[in-house]
Amino acid sequence: MSTVDNSVSGAVPGAPAPRRQPAWLKLWPVQALLFLALLVAVWAVTEALNLVIPAYQGQILLFTGINVIITLGLNLITGVTGQLSLGHAAFMAIGAYAAAICTVSLHLPFALALLLGGLVAALFGVVLGFPTLRLSGDYLAIATLGFAEIVRVVNTNLKITNGAIGYYGIQKRVDLPLVAMLAVAAVAAMAWLENSRNGRAMRSVREDEIAATASGVNTTFYKIQAFAVGAFFAGVGGGLYAHTTTFIQPTDFGFLKSVEQLSMVVLGGMGSIAGTVLGTIVLTAAPELLRFMSNYRMLVYGATLIVLMIFRPGGLLGGVDLRDAVRRALMLGRSRTVRTSVGGDGQ
Amino acid sequence: MSETILDLQDVTLRFGGLVAVDGVSMDVRQGEIRALIGPNGAGKSTIFNLVTGVYRPNQGTIRFGERSLNGVPPHRLAGLGIARTFQNIRLFSSLSLMENVLIGAHSRGRSGLAGAVFRLPPFRQEEENLSLQAWEALAFMGLDQKAGELAKNLPYGEQRRLEIARALVSQPRLLLLDEPAAGMNPQEKSALMETIRRIRDTGITVFLIEHDMRVVMGISDRVAVLNYGKKIADGLPAEVREDAGVIEAYLGTGGKRERRRTRPVVALPQVALEGGAGHAGN
Repeated sequence: MSTVDNSVSGAVPGAPAPRRQPAWLKLWPVQALLFLALLVAVWAVTEALNLVIPAYQGQILLFTGINVIITLGLNLITGVTGQLSLGHAAFMAIGAYAAAICTVSLHLPFALALLLGGLVAALFGVVLGFPTLRLSGDYLAIATLGFAEIVRVVNTNLKITNGAIGYYGIQKRVDLPLVAMLAVAAVAAMAWLENSRNGRAMRSVREDEIAATASGVNTTFYKIQAFAVGAFFAGVGGGLYAHTTTFIQPTDFGFLKSVEQLSMVVLGGMGSIAGTVLGTIVLTAAPELLRFMSNYRMLVYGATLIVLMIFRPGGLLGGVDLRDAVRRALMLGRSRTVRTSVGGDGQ
Repeated sequence: MSETILDLQDVTLRFGGLVAVDGVSMDVRQGEIRALIGPNGAGKSTIFNLVTGVYRPNQGTIRFGERSLNGVPPHRLAGLGIARTFQNIRLFSSLSLMENVLIGAHSRGRSGLAGAVFRLPPFRQEEENLSLQAWEALAFMGLDQKAGELAKNLPYGEQRRLEIARALVSQPRLLLLDEPAAGMNPQEKSALMETIRRIRDTGITVFLIEHDMRVVMGISDRVAVLNYGKKIADGLPAEVREDAGVIEAYLGTGGKRERRRTRPVVALPQVALEGGAGHAGN
């Protein structure tokens, strides 16, 4: 028991030494420029890649990128904030239709249409958030499922969405470099958001709502915020999807789509950004890679999912601290979760 | 006498036909260690839940300083200066100690979504301040060496300390501790008593519920006793210990013993009567 006594002083002996970075690196404009440089690098690499790889593989990469943006949104709602959503495809649908209507009917620039698609979806995220706040777990899942069905039925019957025939005549405006840049930006934004006061509040909602409330977290507010931000990502992804396929119909965004997106998050590891990205890559690429099996394709796909969930129930990267893992792999200094069993305190 | 920081006036809470808290009036004064004791089911935790807005009283008022707490949503209380721990530990178990304490500091922060996503200078300044405060709170509870570990991997006693650290980081004026010594061994208990005194010495008023009489009688300035939702005694530890009504509530009277046997109070009376005497002198 070498505890308690050594910490009476007000000083902070255990505080981590500030990371050794040159001062100019800490300036906000410098970091913003570095981030822009990263995006440009991503653009250049994917532009080059686009020339080299066949169109079919390029298309798979492109859909992977779009799915990453969408599933990151779902990961925020379900993985980080702990609100099980079975209707994420509905936000994608709203974003897709809104963006398509913006470019086709309203002749708005594509970038603005994408943004508006995201914002409209976010608005619906808030609208869905309010009535479902009192629900949790299974009940919330059912409510989101109902919401997704309503959106699908409404899209099938509205004139503005061209009903069941589907919305066509959308220009193809999306290419791989654009999607890659947006996906990288989405990963960065999510990482920043999760590692902030807002992100911590969202995780506290997942962990224990009563303790979160006692700590001053307005759980209602952060649940709605998670739904809004998650829906925004889905909406932007939907807009990209619409301007890739140039044709969308209500059945593109059905229940199976929501389940597929949830599978990507769960397979990768709920609450983990890297896991979500990995899960999305695996589940987007797998059906294509398994195409040579023709009739047995979906069977193998399903069996792979089951086996993976048996051996990694927390997801591929669930419970893995990436930074820690990399540090350990490279043996750089001591890891964050080193077990210091001082004086037999370890139970 | 110093001023009253928390004041309950005639507070009543009913759950259907059951009166959980029945016309309780009590106060907590600035800078003291105030205790609330009573047999299981007496309504102690319910009083905490009333103060923290989990329940609303059917009757009566609760004032914190000058302000009425009636109708204040629970998440506002941390910002007003009331922090609490829970009887059955409620940590954010799959997060690190540091994150647990940072969430405790939520009410001290202001930054929002834009600050988080764009990492603007005010946001960074705030994060730096908060993490410094979190380190201080962890160090105060002797947990700074384990800041990176997950809360669920801590031994029991340290989980209790982490909960207190999470409450302290919000810089409360009033700290509510719900059975902080439950499940601790004797050394941990005396360390806890020392910690509670240190917390009081930093200017934080402490209001605690406790079953362990050694702890209660050793550190409390004043003790209130609750039984069946009613306050049956209130005063200095020595007075409360001698109170006939309190002894009856804990021991029962000779003739009624048969009826009261089912009451799940164990080991308290002996400590109250014998062990407590040694601690009363300080």
